[in-house]
Amino acid sequence: MKQLLIIDNEETILFALKRYFAKLRWRVDAASELEEAEALVAHTRYDLVIADLSLSSGGSTEGLEILRFLHTKSPATHVILLTAFGTPAVEREARRRGAQAVLLKPQPLPELARVADQLLGAQP
Amino acid sequence: MKRVLDRLRESGAIRVEFQPIVKVGPDHVELYAVEALARGPRDTSVERPEVLFEYARRKGVESDIDLICITEAFEAYTRLPTRPLLSINVHGATLASVDHFSDRVLSAAKAYGIAPDHLMFEVLEYRAPWAIETFLSTLDLLRDAGVRIAVDDLGVGASNYQMIVDCHPDHLKIDRHVVNGCSGDRWRRAVLESIATLGRACGATPVAEGVETTADLETLLDVGIDTVQGWLYARSMPPEELAHSPLLSATQQKKGHCQ
Repeated sequence: MKQLLIIDNEETILFALKRYFAKLRWRVDAASELEEAEALVAHTRYDLVIADLSLSSGGSTEGLEILRFLHTKSPATHVILLTAFGTPAVEREARRRGAQAVLLKPQPLPELARVADQLLGAQP
Repeated sequence: MKRVLDRLRESGAIRVEFQPIVKVGPDHVELYAVEALARGPRDTSVERPEVLFEYARRKGVESDIDLICITEAFEAYTRLPTRPLLSINVHGATLASVDHFSDRVLSAAKAYGIAPDHLMFEVLEYRAPWAIETFLSTLDLLRDAGVRIAVDDLGVGASNYQMIVDCHPDHLKIDRHVVNGCSGDRWRRAVLESIATLGRACGATPVAEGVETTADLETLLDVGIDTVQGWLYARSMPPEELAHSPLLSATQQKKGHCQ
């Protein structure tokens, strides 16, 4: 079973994503804080991480921190970064830090699943 | 959304299980102590202890979590029908940084009716130098009150000779990495022999963690280590389950008897 970590500070989004991907037979963990996500990544091998760019108010960018952490601790993990404030600069930086996809929120769940499958299908 | 830390601070959120530590004699086994093992709230991201403590470390709240775990361990211990030695893990940073740690913990123990000589603290992730004087004076205060001190995870990470020299432990908890498979590995056996010798010279009792096979147990007994912990005898279990364990209700069993 493929292992997925979803990182978002919005409870409803976490709930919806977790439920949707669990139905698609993913084993899903969820985190709403940077340190919580890092603790999980430090002790679990994830196939995919879906992370929100901002985990607190005020346009924060904890998602980029998570990308850096993943790049060091788990370079084989695929990453989709979600953001409500997509700019070319953010996307460039996210991709530089290892995100394979940067998607705008809100994103239809089937489309998110399609991108996830595409990323994992593309792995050797 | 409720933060993880807020959830952990709720009474009863952190659960405690106990794993028996036994002393193996020539023809019997007796309960020596129980180690309190913390578990995060069920069905949360921090349910697994390694994730729980990793989170605490990254959040810089190890000491807060340690104090919660200690209190929950006291609470769970009172649900046992007998009073074996209670062993609890504590980070070196907690001993060094929490104001009046010994007073606070001993007062809490007293409130639960637990005598200090029924307590053992297993010191882990000791990293000197930081408030080394506070760390050492806290250990002295605990020891003076009758609490026993152990170095945890001996043989891996920061659990090294410096820790033994500084902590003057009563017990040496040997990490499972050294113990597991010692029956077929002369390097592991040699390390265990050296720890047994060290224990005798220092007056510290070695305790082998992660004992899972009778072959490893025989090797440990052969090198002079008779106090052990591991699945061969018992997994960790909630206090209600341990209360009905033969290990607790009858202190003597046949050697090598598994749960």
